[in-house]
Amino acid sequence: MPRTCQLHPFTVLALAAAVTATTTAAGRWWLSVAVLLACLLLAAWARRARRLAGLAAAILAPAWGSQLLIHGMADTAGGHVLAAAGPLRITAEGLATAGALGLRTGVLVAAGLLCTLLIDRHELIAAVDLSPAPPQLGYLLAATLFLLPALERRQRAIGQAQSLRGATPGGGPRGWFRRVRLRSVPLVLGALQDAADRSAHLAARGFPAAGPHTRLREVQDSAAQRRVRRIALACTVLGPVAVLAPSWMGAA
Amino acid sequence: MSPNLILPQTATGHPLRRRMLAAAGALLLAGTYTALVLTQPTGLTDGLGQTVALATFAAYLAAALLLLAAVLPELPVATLTLIPVALALNIVLGQFVGSVMVPLYLDSLGTVLVGFLAGRRAGAATGVLGTLIWSLFNPTVLPFAAGAALVGFLAGTAARFGTLRRPYLAPVAGLAVGVLVGVLSAPVAAFVFGGTSGVGTGALVAAFRSMGDSLLSAVTKQALISDPGDKAIVFLLAALLIYALPGRLSAGFAFVRRHNVLGSHGSK
Amino acid sequence: MSAGQNAVLGLELARFRYAGASRDTLSGISLSLAPGSLTVVLGDSGSGKSTLGAVLAGMLPRHDGDALDATLHLAGQEIRHRPGAAVRIDPVGWARQVGLLPQDARHFLSGVRATVAEELALGLENAGVPRAQMRRRIAALADQLELHELLQRDPAKLSGGQERLVALAALGLDAPAVLVLDEPLAGLDSPAAARIWELLDRLRGGGTALVLLARALDRLAAGADTVLALREGSCHAMDTALPTSAAPVAPAARRAPGAELLLGFSGVGIGYPGSAGPVVQGLDLKVRAGECVGLAGPNGSGKTTVLKAAAGLLRPGAGQVHGSSLAAGTVGLLLQNPSDQLFERTVAREVAFGLPKRGPEVARIPAVLASLGLDGHAQAHPYELPASARRIVALATVLVREPGVLLLDEPTEALDADGLARLHAALAAVLDRGGAVLLATHDEAFMAATAHRVHRMGPAVPAGTGPVAPGRVGEL
Repeated sequence: MPRTCQLHPFTVLALAAAVTATTTAAGRWWLSVAVLLACLLLAAWARRARRLAGLAAAILAPAWGSQLLIHGMADTAGGHVLAAAGPLRITAEGLATAGALGLRTGVLVAAGLLCTLLIDRHELIAAVDLSPAPPQLGYLLAATLFLLPALERRQRAIGQAQSLRGATPGGGPRGWFRRVRLRSVPLVLGALQDAADRSAHLAARGFPAAGPHTRLREVQDSAAQRRVRRIALACTVLGPVAVLAPSWMGAA
Repeated sequence: MSPNLILPQTATGHPLRRRMLAAAGALLLAGTYTALVLTQPTGLTDGLGQTVALATFAAYLAAALLLLAAVLPELPVATLTLIPVALALNIVLGQFVGSVMVPLYLDSLGTVLVGFLAGRRAGAATGVLGTLIWSLFNPTVLPFAAGAALVGFLAGTAARFGTLRRPYLAPVAGLAVGVLVGVLSAPVAAFVFGGTSGVGTGALVAAFRSMGDSLLSAVTKQALISDPGDKAIVFLLAALLIYALPGRLSAGFAFVRRHNVLGSHGSK
Repeated sequence: MSAGQNAVLGLELARFRYAGASRDTLSGISLSLAPGSLTVVLGDSGSGKSTLGAVLAGMLPRHDGDALDATLHLAGQEIRHRPGAAVRIDPVGWARQVGLLPQDARHFLSGVRATVAEELALGLENAGVPRAQMRRRIAALADQLELHELLQRDPAKLSGGQERLVALAALGLDAPAVLVLDEPLAGLDSPAAARIWELLDRLRGGGTALVLLARALDRLAAGADTVLALREGSCHAMDTALPTSAAPVAPAARRAPGAELLLGFSGVGIGYPGSAGPVVQGLDLKVRAGECVGLAGPNGSGKTTVLKAAAGLLRPGAGQVHGSSLAAGTVGLLLQNPSDQLFERTVAREVAFGLPKRGPEVARIPAVLASLGLDGHAQAHPYELPASARRIVALATVLVREPGVLLLDEPTEALDADGLARLHAALAAVLDRGGAVLLATHDEAFMAATAHRVHRMGPAVPAGTGPVAPGRVGEL
């Protein structure tokens, strides 16, 4: 069983924001690597390390490839030329830039995905509902997260129904377009009809709340956590300022 | 004491406050973009580069959140129940397309649908919300929220001025929207991530760079090549989907009726 | 006005027309509800009874486009709707007086809460009721309605009957004076229906006026104070004599002994990837030309799975599915949810979908549409047809291919009397031309009237073919 943490969802998000912002501002490779490792360790504690690695790799592999191509292979500024062939120029500076950018992206992705893996979605929705955010936000977040599996199921049912009736879209771009149309028309029709049918009942049940609203579900919170959140949010803004201020002085 | 059964004829609210929020969001976005284009910071990984990356990330995200705060409280319930459907469609159809190896995203289909059916404000809100929720699965999309808001906003604007009354107008409008969105989103790709999200687009940027372009202009040129085509196909698909809707359903949207969005298609 | 002084809701409706529609959906209806009364509105699919329910519940008119000319009396107030000057109804305030249970309870449930208790609390949460008070009220409601075992369940994993129980409980939380119920027993097996009926009885005993929208006078409607027959949107006098449904006539077996085996299962086991055990195990079943076989069993016993395997959508993990019809690829399946099966803009295009352009099937389309009474709807959008007709359209898409074996999953759900007659005729036609039918249904009356024999399925235990009605079992 994967573990989820007992912290308030906003505490997790605030800590992640503070760490990501400060690490990005610092731009030291050892700090970024340490943060990446810490994310992986936390994921291992939650028994989700493999999942974190898989999800992050799917996002990072193409992004790193792109950064390597742009900075590593076609650098125009660097002086230490390692290899050059026609328009391609591989320089030490270019590779260093690509590496730094890759780490920057990596920290953002790992910290963000770790939050998703650690936070229980019901807790997150309840926390958003109980926060001063507009009451619509909690519903929209909840409805989307719950609709996703439902739509995926329907997508499969539609695929089955179409194969029963021998839908053969054919190949080539026309076939591709036909296939997308065949898949999306019944899905969108059904989903929109469903949404229209639901809206009157939601309105009747007082949604969206016009005044103050409450939640039956309690979200674990404490004075210590609230303090941690305030400090983390301050760090998100002040951390980068403290790290970067000297470089502004130098530039001015 | 008698219960409330009837609402007053005029909606109450704080239109001025919301207009201020929307204006602040738009100004922040425009200001950040102009500053980036004018100064064209060069270093990406020195102190200045990190400042620019964080500032761009923060400004684009804050602008998107301001726009959302301005729009969200005034959306009717019918639109609010439509938005989750659109967001889920963005993701489900995006995955389906991804699985058949065609180099298009179609991840804004739901956003465009909402823009067409419920207007530019709802479209913009859908764009921002879609990005916020998608960022739970892929955090790198977060600073692109402003671009997604623009897609929804422009889809609503296009529908209002009759794009859906002729089927061939929809992809034309999509092309134009793709140009604007590509240009607006380019600084995020250039200054926050220093690259793109895919190897193919990265190779294009590298090619422009090796021909002597600056990073921002290389990324902008790449966006101008890939975005308009994607948006043209998304707009066409969304238009075809809306033509396939039963009349009672599409007539249920006040925006569609008020601006005669569908023209003769709606009154068949 | 005929409404007595103590009526909780009075309606004088001149006419109602949807935005963009060319004719009135409702006209000339007058209604007055006393506390604790039961009013039954009878009508076929498309007769306008759901529209009437939505008007009573304040959900129509939706906007300036719908034209309603009516006067309502509710909670001591008079509300006048005039075409072009519709009153904007406060949905929350109205719902505290009149609650509506839609036919599909999932449309009522928000679908965004982790437990049934949280789902029940949604309305209270939006009204800003403090947590302690919410807890108290939900516990009291669960006591009153005996729902304790459901409170911590996941609302997404409830059965159809439980969904309706929860929706009714959520409606009962506000103790509205009137409850409008759209076919609250449709598609439920008898224990679930009894549970709902018991709950409604309690609410009625507490003084709630019930309005029941129904397709036929069933036992739920038997105790009605008033019966209103709705046809084409207007009221008709109700015959006082309740029509006693004709006792099902046992269908005559049409097959000669030793007829061709169209579809057979031998030792079939089917499981889904990710599920613990197989859903179906050791299934032996033979369907021969000219016979109609029923599949019975509780929810989750694998009826739909068997039909999907017969249609070739699922591959059995063990055993074999065989038969001449399967080999010829002429097995047609009508799915439980017709909207999964409909993708086109008009009924005619829908039925022609996927057929070879100049094949014999295309030539059959007009005849199939005519035989199902759909010829007048050929250019209509399938989603704009009433639920019953939409299901018949889905049936037409299957019949146009003249399947050797016709597979039906809960075919009577949402069908009205006319639709049911069309379905019976279609089944007879399939059997007459030497085809066979395999159907899964909860509808015992329909099963008795159509199936020559019934195969009972249990939850994930090896199922045996058991005779239900002696004398109607075909020798295998």
